[in-house]
This record gives sequence, C-alpha cells and structure tokens, in this order.
Amino acid sequence: MAEVVLKDVMKNYGSLYAVNNVSFTVEHGEFVALVGPSGCGKTTTLNLVAGLIPMSGGDISIGNRIVNDLDPKDRDIAMVFQNYALYPNKSVFKNLAFPLQMRKLPKAEIEAKVMQAAKILDITHLLERRPRELSGGQQQRVALGRALVRDPAVFLMDEPLSNLDAKLRVAMRSEIKRFHHNLNATVIYVTHDQLEAVTMADKMAVMHGGVLQQYDSPANVFANPVNTFVASFVGSPAMSLIPLDVVGKGTDVALKSPEEGWELPLSAQNARKATASSQGTVVLGARHSTLKLHKSPVAGSVPGKVYTVEPTGDVTFAQVFVSGAVVNVSLEPTAPIAPDEEVFVEFDQQRLHLFDGQTTNALKAA
Amino acid sequence: MATISETAIRPVVRKPIDWWRWAGRFFLTFLLLFTVLPMAWMVLTSVKSQFAAMQYPPQWWPTEPTLNNYFKLLDPRNRIGQEFLRYFWNSFYVSLLTTILGVVVAVPAAYAFSRFRFPGRNFLFFAVLVRNMFPAVVFLMPLFLLMRWMGLVNTHGSLILTYLTFGLPLSIWLLKGFYDNIPIQLEQAARIDGATRFQAFLFIVMPLSTPGIIATSIFSFIGAWNEYVYAYTFLSRDHQMTLPVGIQRFFTEFATDWPGLMAATFMMSVPVVVLFLVLQKYFVRALTEGAVKH
Ligand SMILES: Nc1ncnc2c1ncn2[C@@H]1O[C@H](COP(=O)(O)OP(=O)(O)OP(=O)(O)O)[C@@H](O)[C@H]1O
Ligand SMILES: [Mg+2]
Repeated sequence: MAEVVLKDVMKNYGSLYAVNNVSFTVEHGEFVALVGPSGCGKTTTLNLVAGLIPMSGGDISIGNRIVNDLDPKDRDIAMVFQNYALYPNKSVFKNLAFPLQMRKLPKAEIEAKVMQAAKILDITHLLERRPRELSGGQQQRVALGRALVRDPAVFLMDEPLSNLDAKLRVAMRSEIKRFHHNLNATVIYVTHDQLEAVTMADKMAVMHGGVLQQYDSPANVFANPVNTFVASFVGSPAMSLIPLDVVGKGTDVALKSPEEGWELPLSAQNARKATASSQGTVVLGARHSTLKLHKSPVAGSVPGKVYTVEPTGDVTFAQVFVSGAVVNVSLEPTAPIAPDEEVFVEFDQQRLHLFDGQTTNALKAA
Repeated sequence: MATISETAIRPVVRKPIDWWRWAGRFFLTFLLLFTVLPMAWMVLTSVKSQFAAMQYPPQWWPTEPTLNNYFKLLDPRNRIGQEFLRYFWNSFYVSLLTTILGVVVAVPAAYAFSRFRFPGRNFLFFAVLVRNMFPAVVFLMPLFLLMRWMGLVNTHGSLILTYLTFGLPLSIWLLKGFYDNIPIQLEQAARIDGATRFQAFLFIVMPLSTPGIIATSIFSFIGAWNEYVYAYTFLSRDHQMTLPVGIQRFFTEFATDWPGLMAATFMMSVPVVVLFLVLQKYFVRALTEGAVKH
C-alpha cells in the first residue's frame, strides 16, 4: 500500500496535449475516481501512472519512490483494463497464475494464492475454462482476480464496469467498493460515469481536455463545483445553467435575462458574487432539487415554459425553457403539469451557483 | 425463432436456389476431376513397369503393379537412388532454411509494422509489397548478376536468399494482420503482471500468432520446394541440384523412364501434402482470423 503523487504530469502527442500539467495526490488507502468525458485524457493519465507510455514531463511517485523511469513491472501496481485483457490462450487458472509466475514464486504458493483469490471472487468453478467461455461478468471477476492475486501497492482500473449491463454494473460496483474496504487498498479508478465516481470514490478528479478541473471529495465537488464544466458534469440530471446579465449596484443587484427582459433580485451574499464577475455577465446554476415550480408568479421566481415532462416513478422531471436555456426541475409524481404550460421557476438563493460568464469559473464574494 | 421463419420461407425460394446449387456442384466436380485425374494417373503410372507404361492403347489399371520404382529411388546403393536422395535432401535443406529464416525475419518485421510508428513506416511497408507486383522471372537476370557479383552463384545461399525475397512480403503482410488483431492491452497487462517487453511478446503475443506463423511457414516452404527456374539458373553442379531440376534427369537421351519419373514426382509431393494435412487446421484459422477484423 502506498500513496501516489502526480506532479505537473504532461503527455503530448505532437501538438495535442492529452494530459496537461496534472497534479494530485492519492493518499494511502484512498479510492480516487478519475472522471471526465470521452477523450479527456483519463486512460492516458492511468497509463502514465502504470508506466505503459513515456511521460513528456513531470514526476510520478508511488510510495515515496519516483517511478518516472521504472518499467511497469517494477512499479508494484496492478491494473484492470476496460476490455479485461485476459490472456485468451490461457485458462482462468493460468491467467491468475501468470503475475505470480513472472515473479518466480514457488509452485505451491502460486496455487494457494490463486485458489484464495478465486474463492474471494467466487470463480473457483471456472478455473479450467478459457476466457472466451465466460460471460462478461465472469471475465470481469477474473480480471479483478488477476489484479488481486499479488496484493500490489496500487490498483489501477480503467472503466472496469463499462462493458457490463446496468444491473451487473451496480452489483459489481458495490463489490469493488467492498474489496477496497477489506484490502484497504490504494485505488485509482477511471470512469466516464459520474454516478460511479460519486458512489464509489473518496475523492474524484474531474478532467476536461487533458486539464484537471477539480480534485475533491464527491460531496464537495457536488456542492461547490469550481466551474460550469464540473457543474454540468457531476449530478444527474445535470445542473441547469442560464447565462444572464448583472444589473444594479451595491447590494441591490439583480440578474437580467438578455432575451426575455425579466429581472431576478439577488440576496446580499449572491449580489457580492455577481458584482465580482469580469464582464458583467454570469451563468446562474441550479440543481433540479433546489427549484420549485409555480403556476403564478411568486417572489424570487422567473417565467418559463414547460418543454417535456418525464415521469420516472418516484420523481417526475420537468424540462423548462427559461431565458433560452433548459432547466431541469424535479417534481412530485402527482404534480399537475403539461408541456407548453407557462410556469414560474422559484430559485433558492441559499443553494444557487454563480459562475463568471466569461471565464466560467465559480464566483466568490468580493 | 430463427428455425420457424426459415421453414416458413423455404417452400417459396426452394426452386431457384436448387438450380444454382446443382450448377455449383457440377462446376466443383469438374474442377475436382481436373486436379485429381493427373495425380491419379501419376500414381498409377508410378507402379507400372517400364514396358507397361509405354503400351498403346494404355493400360488404365496396372496389370502387374510393382513398387520397384520406389525401391530404386530410395535405395542409396544404386546411382539413381543416390542422386534422388541427394536432390531430395538439397530441396529439403534449402526449403527448411528458407522457412526458418523467413520466420526469423518476418515475425519481428511484422510486429514492428503493426506496433511501432516510425518514420518511413508506410513507405517501407508498401516497398515490401512492390516485389509481388511483378512476375518472378522479371528478376531472374538482375538477381543472377547480383548473385554473381556477391560470389553466390552455384551455392544454395543464392537460392535461399532469392526465395526469402519472394516469400517475405506475403509472410509480413499476413503476420501484420495477426498482430493488428491482438489488442495492445494484452501486452500491457503482461508488462504490468511482471513481464518485460520481450517476455510479453514471447509469452503472450507469440502463442496467439502461432497459426499465422505456421501458415506463413507453409507458404515459404511450398514456394521454395516447388521452385524451378531460379534453381535451374543459379545452380549448375549436379550434386547441388534441387528436386524440381534434378527430376529432369529422368528424361534421358534415349528413352524417358516414365514410371521412375512419376514415382519421383509422387515422392516430391509427399512432404507438401503431409505438411498441409497436419497443419491444415492452423492454416485455415490463419487465413480467416488474420484477415478479418473482429
Ligand atoms: N497513441 C496516441 N496517439 C495520438 N493521440 C492519442 C494517443 N492516445 C490517445 N490520444 C489522444 O489523447 C486524448 C486522450 O485520450 P484518452 O485515451 O486518455 O481519453 P479517455 O479520457 O480515456 O477517453 P475514453 O473515455 O473515450 O476512454 C484523446 O484526444 C486521444 O485522441
Ligand atoms: Mg479511456
């Protein structure tokens, strides 16, 4: 077990910066999720930690040891790949035994360790099969087993659940979480599914375009996203974002819709944030659960028009057009509401977010 | 589900399909006769006596079958046997070396073309294939001059080198297809599991490309085994001849020993047929797996 430190890590392919100046520290025993949209550099970052591709700059250390020039085999890591990468010509037993054989362990010990890992993962009955004779979920377990057999300092996982169906994914999610808990292992876990990250990780690193946007606990990332990208990436449905103009001075500040002309007065705290914006424009962010819908105007509400209504069982989501932007609102399933209805959206001043219209960064009270 | 709809549709489309099927069968039978009959005649003639073989009208079925021709060829005590065995050994030696060297060169080359991005990669890859765009005879004179310049004329080395240049393009092309289909993550997994780059190649990639290696080996071997024109041009000493050239010696000035010739020809085809039958499983897998992207 060990901590992993990335410092100013760079990787470029020609003029494309796949990983750009990324720094973060994974504490011993921590479960860190690397999230971001496709192509943001998650796999590249993980491969750099694994030593599978050379770095263009920066330092990576694992357990107080700079590993920049070490081969993958000398880094004391294990990795689970998105496509599992099981050796197709070897039986499950041999797949699990391979890492131990390469480390020249005695035969009896190999057998004991493989049997133990197989037992933990409940794949003892599959040991003689070839990978292609296994279901996706079983292959996933074998891949996990191959990482488990030699208890490495750090586990790296690249979207290990993305090839499973929704139900199995949820089941494996809690199992991986359980392993992490039992082994007290350091884990770096890549996923593009923010829900996976939020539910599993101690900390999440949100990446975008090769740049690390925010590194914090899921709760903090959810509560205080540093910019509109993080705000819209974390949470489902996404945080609604409405670009607006700032009008007024001092504590008497309102947000004005450039399209529809209405004004939304701000609380003193929010007013100070809004006046700190660089160009007099902000992006107003609000999560679906903090919004209320009204049939007639109330204080602190703005007009909108219902676009769609999506019942999901215990919650109904409504999408409402407000000043040209789509706003998600969660409602009681019984709420009497229909598309094209004119409604009023009430904001909770305590729980709304303000981002700079120009830089997209979260605004702080000046 | 599938079976239900199949049986439901069948009566409607049956007739036209059957016509095509019969046409196909007829054509295949024709092709089969075309290839099998000469071989059958070869085997039949090889067990006839010299006299029986020359009869007219021909004996369709040998009245007194004899294996004498084979005994003569395989008996190192008489002159014909000595020569035949020597030619056989020469052919075997040249083909085997061509095959081994071919694998030794093609495997790393194909792997490099598949895995590494280096300057001139595409150019080199197509340069390798250019050789296959011309008929082999075109290179006869230039290669002969080249071999003479290198002092290789009248050595088996000249043939091995030449056969290599003929066999390698296809071998490299086929093997590259194999390596392209082996996910790079397998090697990465192996390297994380404690293998060096070379070990990952040796323990993981090599076994997966065995069918391809076997298929290319068969290609090189057969190509070298059957080659005639270059062997005839590059070698002039009797004791160096390979089988295709050596067998010519059965055409003597006075009378051609047809049964002997046929027996020798049959013996010559044995290694290829055996190779093919034993390794056929890999061969088919190589052509289907290597060629198609999953
Ligand atoms: N070998 C390479 N050569 C050139 N560009 C590459 C190479 N590998 C990755 N890239 C580029 O680097 C960027 C980051 O790729 P990466 O695989 O890390 O994305 P990712 O975040 O894992 O995405 P996904 O969720 O789709 O797996 C992409 O724009 C990709 O096109
Ligand atoms: Mg990826």
